[in-house]
Amino acid sequence: MRRYLVQRIAAALLTVWVTTIAVAMLIHIVPGDPVQIMYAQSQGTTPEQLEEIRTRLGLNEPVWKQYAMFMGRILQGDFGQTIRGKQPVLDLLIGRLPNTLLLASVSLVIAAVIGIVFGFIAAYRRGTAVDTSLMIIALVGVSMPHFWLGLILLFVFAVNLAWLPVAGTDWRSLVLPAITLGVANAGIIARLTRSSMIDILDQDFVRTARAKGLKRGTILYRHVLLAGLIPVVTMLGLQFTYMLGGAIVVENVFAWNGIGRLAIQAIFQRDYPLIQGFILVFAVLVVTVSLLMDLLYAVLDPRVRLS
Amino acid sequence: MSDQTVTAPVPAASAASAKFRQFLGNRGATVGLVIVAVLVVTAAFAPWIAPYDPQMMGAGPRLTAPSFSHLFGTDEFGRDLFSRVVYGSRLTLMIAAIAVGIALAVGLTIGLIGGYAGGWIERIVMRLVDVVFSFTETLIALAAVAVLGPSLQNAMIAVGIATMPFYARICYATVLVEKNKPYFEASVAAGAGHFRIVLLHILPNILPTMVVVATLGVSTAILAAAGLSFLGLGAQPPSPEWGWMLSAGRDYFSRAPWMMIAPGVAIAATVLGFNLLGDGIREVLDPRQTARR
Repeated sequence: MRRYLVQRIAAALLTVWVTTIAVAMLIHIVPGDPVQIMYAQSQGTTPEQLEEIRTRLGLNEPVWKQYAMFMGRILQGDFGQTIRGKQPVLDLLIGRLPNTLLLASVSLVIAAVIGIVFGFIAAYRRGTAVDTSLMIIALVGVSMPHFWLGLILLFVFAVNLAWLPVAGTDWRSLVLPAITLGVANAGIIARLTRSSMIDILDQDFVRTARAKGLKRGTILYRHVLLAGLIPVVTMLGLQFTYMLGGAIVVENVFAWNGIGRLAIQAIFQRDYPLIQGFILVFAVLVVTVSLLMDLLYAVLDPRVRLS
Repeated sequence: MSDQTVTAPVPAASAASAKFRQFLGNRGATVGLVIVAVLVVTAAFAPWIAPYDPQMMGAGPRLTAPSFSHLFGTDEFGRDLFSRVVYGSRLTLMIAAIAVGIALAVGLTIGLIGGYAGGWIERIVMRLVDVVFSFTETLIALAAVAVLGPSLQNAMIAVGIATMPFYARICYATVLVEKNKPYFEASVAAGAGHFRIVLLHILPNILPTMVVVATLGVSTAILAAAGLSFLGLGAQPPSPEWGWMLSAGRDYFSRAPWMMIAPGVAIAATVLGFNLLGDGIREVLDPRQTARR
């Protein structure tokens, strides 16, 4: 168990470290002169001022030294300032982060509930019309672009019926984006739950339980559902990271003020410090979630826990 | 398929045709094949199918609802949406081919190097692939577009890079299997060079698997690229790219909801088609799945 933990933590740290290198180099891979591109929109910047910015960003130093300076600043929590508005990048991102986490978490709950219920019913009624219809719905869900589903929901419930706001910051504005992201991901969970449950339904212990004369409800709940959920729960961690990725797009459909919306604005404004900060924060988030999931898995699965 | 082909005596050797019949027996896979075929035909004959030039402004009145003269309605410039969706199929197929092609080429190279070389090269290369894999495609694609700048070409490259780890991992695993086969040992014993072994012996053996893997990856690539275009980071106006068309339709939301219908249905149907096709192929190739049916 300890060895497993050490390995997982080392892998997570390695991932973050590789990301910092990639992010630090980002500004050098950009075609053309990044400083010129960044300040192209703001008029009246003299060549002297551009040179001054280059010196300030350390772009005249050798690459290794730039990386050392970059890491030094990052480790002190200084992610630099945005080009527009000169705000501290880290504060801006941290301020927006709760919105994204809230959206992704609520969506995950919606996706898990719909997916597990659909998948379980489909497995139990395997081969029937119920199974086929549920799986067709799931496949259509998997195939639909989230942003399109979001636009349709927005059109029907916010514009036409006016039940919910088009955009905003309260819980009522969270309903549509969360449903969009949740429904869009429920299909994958439904398909996985179904195949996992079918594996369990075919097992000998289920037949034994039936032969013992246990009530159908008891068998389905205690023996099938709980056993079949283990792979699904593991999958939910991975789903959460996908939700975070999907949130970037959905936030833009609903003008939800998360880090995804901020990131897209940053890309359009070529605000490189903000883009760098976003990638780093997102990377740390994804790595942390995966690590937590691995730890949870280790606690749940006796084969890992006891090794 | 005529009855004749089905009832004709099957030579024992034609395992492939048996697989193909099994594939056609799967209703979902057949539907997928039909959707993809319709898409390919539409793309190939776009100039004959589309009644108008997709870029022609004022092909009809602005923002008119679907009618016989404009099947899917018109947009804010009076362009015919049906013609735009028809021409958009060309872009979608091109995006799918190029993005998957990039992912396949890079993934294949990395997987071959990692799997064949072994030792520390394997550890470093595959560890890097894991790093890329641990981020979601969306983040990698966004980072790539942030560096390269928004354009359709860059979106295709971004999607290719973002989906590459999937191909690299499968290629790597397949190479490891091939390395245990007798022909591999024989070619090493015969003194073949590294390049010869990799290019002439391993590559032809793993290529069929990788082509199947690529079919499974098409729908992911299409969705990811459409998402980038929707965000304004991919195809640029006046391109009839479906994701971008959806984004443009947003501004006319309540006045012309049909602007969001046609491109959305087109993307969803295309992705559904490739998903069904991929599922069908996977089912034919995975005996465990077949036994369960």
